[in-house]
Amino acid sequence: MTATVPAFGPPSGSAGAPPMIEVIGASKWFGDVVAVSEVSFAVGPGVTALLGPNGAGKSTLLRMLCGLTAADQGSVRVLGADPRTDLAVRGRIGIVPQQEAVFEALDAFGFVRLAAVLNGVPDPDAAARGALAVVELDPHDPRRITAYSKGMRQRVKVAQALVNDPAVLVLDEPLTGLDPRQRGHMIELFARLGAQGRCVLVSSHVLDEVERFGSRVLVVAQGRLAATGDFHAIRDLMDDRPHRIRVRTDRPRELATVLVERVGVLGVRLEPPAPGRAGAVVVDTTDAPTFRRLVAKAARHAGATIWEITPLDDDLESVFRYLVQP
Amino acid sequence: MTAPVPPAGANPPASGPGPAPGLHGQGVGWATSGGQAPEAATVFVAVYKLLLRSVATRGRLLAIAALDVVSVFVALSVHLVGPDDPLRAGVGYANANLTTLVPVAVLVFATATLGDLIDDGSLVYLWLRPVPAHLHVLAAWAATVTITLPLVGAPVLLATALIEPDGGLLAGTLIGALVAIAAYSALFVTGGIRFRRALPWGLAYILIWEGFVALAGETASKLAVRSYVRSILSEMSGERIRLGEFSLAAGIIVPLVVGALVLWYGSRRLAKSDVA
Repeated sequence: MTATVPAFGPPSGSAGAPPMIEVIGASKWFGDVVAVSEVSFAVGPGVTALLGPNGAGKSTLLRMLCGLTAADQGSVRVLGADPRTDLAVRGRIGIVPQQEAVFEALDAFGFVRLAAVLNGVPDPDAAARGALAVVELDPHDPRRITAYSKGMRQRVKVAQALVNDPAVLVLDEPLTGLDPRQRGHMIELFARLGAQGRCVLVSSHVLDEVERFGSRVLVVAQGRLAATGDFHAIRDLMDDRPHRIRVRTDRPRELATVLVERVGVLGVRLEPPAPGRAGAVVVDTTDAPTFRRLVAKAARHAGATIWEITPLDDDLESVFRYLVQP
Repeated sequence: MTAPVPPAGANPPASGPGPAPGLHGQGVGWATSGGQAPEAATVFVAVYKLLLRSVATRGRLLAIAALDVVSVFVALSVHLVGPDDPLRAGVGYANANLTTLVPVAVLVFATATLGDLIDDGSLVYLWLRPVPAHLHVLAAWAATVTITLPLVGAPVLLATALIEPDGGLLAGTLIGALVAIAAYSALFVTGGIRFRRALPWGLAYILIWEGFVALAGETASKLAVRSYVRSILSEMSGERIRLGEFSLAAGIIVPLVVGALVLWYGSRRLAKSDVA
């Protein structure tokens, strides 16, 4: 039996080229906790988003891709090499880690320049100035990075990742702390880097953010690869799943009787009224938009007054739970 | 004519809808390494400077300087009292300084060099580079020696001279300080890599192992840096010190060789460590 490795190739023109990142059956556990479980995928040039809720294993997976931690099982190859042991390939990876800590003694220019020096860039001063300009920061700013706002610090981290023109960029929640204009600028920058043939892997737990990358998506939940594909396919998959909706009303029993006969309603449960709170009907439906259109008609039919309609599982966590359920 | 420099902290003008500066075409717009490994000497100097600046915080420097002041003040008091046997008093005082003040000062700086970066996660900016781990470890060791040599080495020498300015004693104190700083720096830099809370572990080593267990007998004393430092002091001053009975050569060579081995282990450990 062979494992199927979902592959994301370049947009066009490089068919048959080896993937820039290849993960085969990779697992990582910390004591009894499984952080990443038998994940396999391959990624080529372009922007790929790694989507998943907090604690899903995204950061651990990204650390494995950079060689910062070893896979307990399976293998990780970046540009055909093991980043854990191959020093040369490390110089071709740029990382924006999630943690905020940077070298407190340095200013932004010094920090990015140091990254250039450690990568063997021939003119580290020019490279640092160039990388800071890309993220719209002033290389002459004498303040230490610790005096920067969270957004500025995030941009410095992006600059140090770019300074050696890496073939692979690994960005862990890179838009955190950025204002809307900077978010737009960064998204455009990542798209351009991807279009130029670099492999840009961006993690996020914000669905709308991933939508703006307009990219291919890897969905990770509970340490497993839950779904892969084009963003729109993932979005449709998320919309097609069953939804749970609470309808608070003065006549829950009557409304439930009418609702249970409607198409697309999988189940109905009554919530009894409590002091200061009306009773409710909790409905499981496969077609939430149609249900929302029909519920008013059903209430009229039942002679009930609707106080409130609340989706109970519209958050991203619920979507991920659905995707990984057996 | 020079171009106007934007005020500090101001952002350069936004790039607008066009490509960001330096990202035209396929390249980034500045020269890159092209896959060439960086020069070891350049990397060493860069990391050394970084660690020197990072670790020499005002708080740490003041704390150790305060201990120095106390040490010199006590030596001055002894000098004013006028001991019966100034050489013996000088050897005893130098021994006390070299086996307590020196390791504690080295511990404070050495564990912080790489240990702080490991704890706060900023090590990733050193680790994920085409640079072998031993360069980082050697730079950390060199930074620790650079700070602690003048910071505690000089005051210990001054304190000893205040009590007894004997040439042999001062030479023994100087060489003992050099060997102690070199060996403890290696031990505690590696301790910072190996242990998450290296400072208490290091204090436990100094106080419990070196200060208590190693005094129990000759076998245990062979496993303590202070026994070799004592031997140097004893040999060069001509004053016998208990559990300081190695030859001068052994007193100098063994701690340095052990220190080198410990640094090698620290490098391997760093190369294989999980980085946050």
